[in-house]
Amino acid sequence: MPEENQRPQQSSGPGGGGPRPGGGPGGRSGPGGKRGKRSYVRRKKVCRFCVDKVDLIDYKKADVLGQFIQERGKILPRRMTGTCARHQRWLSVAIKRAQNIALLPFGAEI
Amino acid sequence: MEERLYDLIFICRPDTPEADIDKIISTLEHAAAEKETKIEKIEKWGRKRMAYRVHKLREGFYVYMSLRTTHGELVKELERRLKVADPVIKYLTVRLDEELKRQAKLKRHRERRAARRPRKAGAGTSGSGTTGTGTTGAVSGGSEQAVASS
Repeated sequence: MPEENQRPQQSSGPGGGGPRPGGGPGGRSGPGGKRGKRSYVRRKKVCRFCVDKVDLIDYKKADVLGQFIQERGKILPRRMTGTCARHQRWLSVAIKRAQNIALLPFGAEI
Repeated sequence: MEERLYDLIFICRPDTPEADIDKIISTLEHAAAEKETKIEKIEKWGRKRMAYRVHKLREGFYVYMSLRTTHGELVKELERRLKVADPVIKYLTVRLDEELKRQAKLKRHRERRAARRPRKAGAGTSGSGTTGTGTTGAVSGGSEQAVASS
């Protein structure tokens, strides 16, 4: 059928095509995970460490690490900070070390 | 055994006199010298507020040391001495040489990759990023009407 592909066929890359539900990888778990109902499309978050080309996340830098934890001391998930998987692994190791040496809190102080 | 790099941080009570802290440091230095260890750095970070209470204290005197050694069992000895010392309330030893090796390797890869690729002035080419040898002209995006209907 020669006329089947009348619409220009875009290659559906990581951004996600139009008719695909869920809104792409960024918003996959965003709006509650209901298929077909997208309330918003999250803009693409970049990993801060990949942009700066960081090869080692230092556990002694509490000011940097402190941006990735809640006030209660819990580590923020990747979908909130936009970190890539590799850096999230390194980050969590560094955060736990910093927590052990009292540079970062484990939980909320009463 | 290959050479290892350790980071050692310990925290003293905030009201310990400077002389006692120096005494602890010199004890560690002696123990390290017995095992042919090179102490790269000793830093006193001074009184810092801790993120949570340790032994009912809110502040502590932080001391940071960096060691290079081939004798891994030295760490146990140092930690034992820190455990026994009265003013020390917390300590942490981290082994860093593997991480530094990985960091150096990544850096090398990145530099090598950057040097190999010919500097393309234009952005926006579909970055299926293999093969450094320059492709001339048409990078096919696949959206051409290449279907030949016979």
